[in-house]
Amino acid sequence: MLSYILRRIAATLPVMAIVALFVFSLLYIAPGDPAVVIAGDQASPEDVERIRQSLGLDRPFLIQFGSWVWRILHGDLGTSIFTNLPVSALIGQRLGPTLSLMTVTLLLTIVVAVPLGVVAAWKAGSLIDRVIMGFAVFGFSLPVFVVGYMLAYIFALELEWLPVQGYTPLAQGFWPWLENLILPAVALGCVYIALIARITRATMLEVLQQDYIRTARAKGLGQGGILFVHALKNAAVPIVTVIGIGIALLIGGAVVTESVFAIPGLGRLTIDAILRRDYPVIQGIVLLFSFVYVLVNLMIDVVYTLVDPRIRY
Amino acid sequence: MSEALLRIDDLHVAFSTRRGMVEAVRGVTLTVEKGEMLGLVGESGSGKSVTGFATTRLLDAAGRVTGGKILFRGQDVTKLGGDDLRQLQGAAMSMIFQNPRAALNPIRAIGLQIADAILTHKRISKEAARGEALELLRAVQIREPEARMNAYPHELSGGMCQRVMIAIAISCNPSLLIADEPTTGLDVTTQKVVMDLLADIAAARGMATILITHDLGLAARYCRRIAVMERGRIVEEASPRTLFSTPQHAYTRRLVAASPTSTSRIEDLVTEEEREGYAAMLGKPRQEPAYGTPPLLEVRKLAKRFDEGSAAVADFSMTMAGGESVGLVGESGSGKSTTSRMICRLIDPSEGDIVFDGQSIGHIASRDFHRSPLRKDIQMVFQDPNESLNPRFTAFDCIAHPLMRLDGMRSGDALRARVEECAVRVGLPLDLLPRFPHQLSGGQKARVGIARAIACRPRLLVLDEPTAALDVSVQAVVLQLLDRLRRENDIALLFVSHDLNVVRMLCDRTIVLRNGGIVEQGESRALFDNPKTDYTRKLVEAIPHIETGKMLAAAL
Repeated sequence: MLSYILRRIAATLPVMAIVALFVFSLLYIAPGDPAVVIAGDQASPEDVERIRQSLGLDRPFLIQFGSWVWRILHGDLGTSIFTNLPVSALIGQRLGPTLSLMTVTLLLTIVVAVPLGVVAAWKAGSLIDRVIMGFAVFGFSLPVFVVGYMLAYIFALELEWLPVQGYTPLAQGFWPWLENLILPAVALGCVYIALIARITRATMLEVLQQDYIRTARAKGLGQGGILFVHALKNAAVPIVTVIGIGIALLIGGAVVTESVFAIPGLGRLTIDAILRRDYPVIQGIVLLFSFVYVLVNLMIDVVYTLVDPRIRY
Repeated sequence: MSEALLRIDDLHVAFSTRRGMVEAVRGVTLTVEKGEMLGLVGESGSGKSVTGFATTRLLDAAGRVTGGKILFRGQDVTKLGGDDLRQLQGAAMSMIFQNPRAALNPIRAIGLQIADAILTHKRISKEAARGEALELLRAVQIREPEARMNAYPHELSGGMCQRVMIAIAISCNPSLLIADEPTTGLDVTTQKVVMDLLADIAAARGMATILITHDLGLAARYCRRIAVMERGRIVEEASPRTLFSTPQHAYTRRLVAASPTSTSRIEDLVTEEEREGYAAMLGKPRQEPAYGTPPLLEVRKLAKRFDEGSAAVADFSMTMAGGESVGLVGESGSGKSTTSRMICRLIDPSEGDIVFDGQSIGHIASRDFHRSPLRKDIQMVFQDPNESLNPRFTAFDCIAHPLMRLDGMRSGDALRARVEECAVRVGLPLDLLPRFPHQLSGGQKARVGIARAIACRPRLLVLDEPTAALDVSVQAVVLQLLDRLRRENDIALLFVSHDLNVVRMLCDRTIVLRNGGIVEQGESRALFDNPKTDYTRKLVEAIPHIETGKMLAAAL
């Protein structure tokens, strides 16, 4: 198992290298002289030249790339052009809120969606199945920001049960932290709940047709044992796959959600960086997200082997 | 007389389908006494399995008992629900299934799967249940039971999986066990071992058993009483001896005729009235190849090694003349399918050469062989007619495809004429050509598979268990068809099978394989009548013959 994980990590290295190359090329893919782009519209020719030299843009591409990678490997993601703060520090400040939002959303999604899907498959064709699947279609079709504003209006402004927006770090207490995250998590999770409930239902329906489920019934097992011990675990591989893809998509969703609920996370940092053309920050964030994505994929593959003994590497 | 253990009284079961309700069981009445083994025999669609599932209350959601009673120890099973039902299932009454590997949860250790059944019905600790599961593995004679407790189904052979299923079924000492085709798909030798084990366990525990099977020979060997089902009804019920010597119902007569025995010939497999046309054809003398004609196929020292290292096939040599039929038999894992696939050029041999009609083809990579002009000459009929046809191709497309690819025919009248000619030759009604595989019966699909294989007029047909998935009456027709094709079109047949009775009838010569090597070969009848090696003898003895003579006399 350990050797498998090590081999998988080794296999991610080329992927990360390609991502790094792409991220670094961002500056050059963007039209125009990178120094002019970075300096902005109001810069004088002297400013542009100063930036060019300070960033080493006058040196050959591969040498620039090499020294950039070298610095990254040493934990230096560069300095924000706009704030003059190290990019790693900027990301570090914003990591907490985004991680909190994603974790709460993910937990909420799994806890709600999987049982819904199981029940829908078990009662396939019944009223309860149709209600769940109806909700799923609804969840799919509403954009995050619509759901977000609706929830904020109903539960924060009208009922005043939950705060409208903002973020409180976990260090200041569990409830204040969670209180601020409930509405964003629900808004962001809607689509994923719908998606995962549907996948769970479809996979469970297929598994419930299998001969070994009939064997479980022949043994006299109860409905709960059949559904959760025998069926759900067999349905787990596709469900885990979709949850993994969900995590990757969640990153994009978090950007919008953080804007709606004014959460000072990476999403907001991304938007600000793009608006200010703060290239080092954009590069740092894209690199981080790619890294997380590769990591999630690795975790999914490891979970496969835990769930299904037939999968061996 | 005391009340029978199980009394099924005028049972009706219907399934709701897209085309409305379909009656699968229409008025079945039968009884099973304590400790008895009853054979329930019929072809697919006869309702024998549905009767079993209705009794154990395992019908699909679409199926419903629409009439009649199933009295088990005086209690009507059809009216039970909830906890009463669960106390019955797996405890007083249990079931084992066809395809044991699929019937076990693939991701749960077998020890746990046995313990599941025990824990459902007994209030004991997990450790105690595990101990009982271990004892059960011993009872079903699994070697190294301690190690096997943590094994997963994919790590066990089919026969071992069925033993595990038996262990689960007997875990709570049921008084009735329903075995639905328990050995279909297993090797003949494994079949014998599993059935002997089942019979011993049933006898030792005084457990009544219903053996549901399509194999009359198997039922005759193990049951004192056999009920024959056709289209949802029991048409005849008698002792095996009566059933075979004086079958009363027309369907039973046909079934008895179609079941191959140790002495039957292909022409015996049909009833008198169907026999005439075939006999006329047999009368024609076959043209013997002129002396000195080179063999059609010559295989020299063929070997195949897969990644793990040990050889799947080693040092395999054979020759075949045009129009000859050769049987390749052996247990699963003996390398017979691997050999046939190498000869078909579907997989590459590791060593050795294949010479077809004077040309060496062993060195052409299998992925390039489709471009060889000899591809037309070597065609294959696959085991499962359900799986080997593209579900999106109509019967016409299936047969036309090789003609377009290999004979360069374009769609049009000429193609249509050739496809129809093939269909006629295999006895496939022309109005079935526009249908998709799911709209055809098993026998019709088998014919499409054969028509596709003979479309390009091959000279060698390799058949991998072509009748294993078919009912005996359909098998009889397919075997006659193959024999006729061989005689009329001079097609050589390489017939891979584990069914020795079939090989004996169809093939001039037989090659017995074991662990990838040839154990014995020779003229079929002589080989089966006087096997020279223990292995062949074991194979021959394991076939459940329909013997009306000495074996039954000894049993009665």
